[in-house]
Amino acid sequence: MQRFISFFLAFGLCGFMPHVLASSETPEQLVRQSSRDVLEIIRKNDKDPLKVRELVDARVAPLVDYTHMTQLAAGRHWKTATPEQQQALTREFRTMLVRTYLSALTIYKNAQVDVKSVRAGNSPSEQDVRTEVNLPGEKPITLDFSFEKSGADWKVYDISVGGVSFINNHRNTFASVIRSEGIDGLIKQLASRNAASSASK
Amino acid sequence: MRVFPLLLPLALLLAGCATPQNNYDPLESVNRPIYAFNDSVDKAVLRPVAQGWSNYVPGGVQQGVRNFFGNIDDLFGIPAALLQGKWHAAGEGTGRVVLNSTFGLAGLIDIGSDVPFKKQDEDFGQALGYWGVPSGPYLMIPFYGPMTLRDSVDPLSRLAWGPIDYIDPLAGQIGYYSVAMVSLRAELLPLDATLQDALDPYAFIRDTYLQRRWFKVYDGEPPHPLPMALDDDGDDDAAPPSEQATAGTATP
Repeated sequence: MQRFISFFLAFGLCGFMPHVLASSETPEQLVRQSSRDVLEIIRKNDKDPLKVRELVDARVAPLVDYTHMTQLAAGRHWKTATPEQQQALTREFRTMLVRTYLSALTIYKNAQVDVKSVRAGNSPSEQDVRTEVNLPGEKPITLDFSFEKSGADWKVYDISVGGVSFINNHRNTFASVIRSEGIDGLIKQLASRNAASSASK
Repeated sequence: MRVFPLLLPLALLLAGCATPQNNYDPLESVNRPIYAFNDSVDKAVLRPVAQGWSNYVPGGVQQGVRNFFGNIDDLFGIPAALLQGKWHAAGEGTGRVVLNSTFGLAGLIDIGSDVPFKKQDEDFGQALGYWGVPSGPYLMIPFYGPMTLRDSVDPLSRLAWGPIDYIDPLAGQIGYYSVAMVSLRAELLPLDATLQDALDPYAFIRDTYLQRRWFKVYDGEPPHPLPMALDDDGDDDAAPPSEQATAGTATP
């Protein structure tokens, strides 16, 4: 019986595979399409940073694996957290990233994003897409997206701006807060900052 | 547990400050107070002045000032590129400086970029890094900001000789450095919001600075991310037991 079920499942899944493969795009395609859409959002709403933030967040959310990002930022402490703590930490970290980075996007109104190269990561399920952001009259800024394949889809788990990685930038601070105040302490600190800023706007 | 005796002095050393640990920041207990001082100077004087500069000085003047100091950076970038055997970068840099210093009115106009001679990004700190000199300890310089021992070679050599030497009176020199500082600070204003949100601004600046320098030394192609944290292997995958033990001991 068990064998029958696994046989059935295997063939059943095969039947779906072509669809899955057809709909999953390569990291490079994802970067090209989403950067084009994001730049358009910025151009259309360049007077309204909050709206930019909202629209861009909605556009990129399906492409980002915030849980994996938070896991890497929390480092070895992630495993000591309960699932509820992991969820809460992911939620607050995501809110903070969206709040601090996406509302600063309006200065990239006239930017152009060029994909420079795609590199294989440490394993076949990892890829890095390197882009250059060009603003008229400025030195280009390198912007790297690290992708990992989860299931059929590629998702971003880290972004580096000019070689400075989101994850690395938060790892030391997270570790020190967790050491002194525990994971709940970190969640509380992030939450209170998020709340303070949404109250002042 | 065999690592315990080894780690004990280190743990004691770090026990004074319940702060993030970073492989490149042995002087953290000295750096932090200096950072606090710099931050208060920034809040009281530098930041307000930079905001005024950014809001009230005409954009063309701001651009001219950026170009002027950028031209001096380009000038010092030439020997830095030569020291690394980057002949092409040195050539383009020379082209820029010659054009911008003459037709570009002493650097106020960046004609070089239109020609186009691409702007290079080299300095003496990177030149040393290219030849394998490690960054040394991270330093927080009063009235200035982040630096590493290796990278201090750049500002020091530029203090020893520079176009500034031809500005004679002391007032002129003070003016020169003041304008340079204000212009540089104004460029960093958009980052203030992010910094304010950081849980630990000192660590945020340090980790950003160190990663950025690491990236520049390898011209944007570092072999691996900078291993900054003492107790993290930088990976999410199950840490080997030995590492867990190490990290456990280091925790006060």
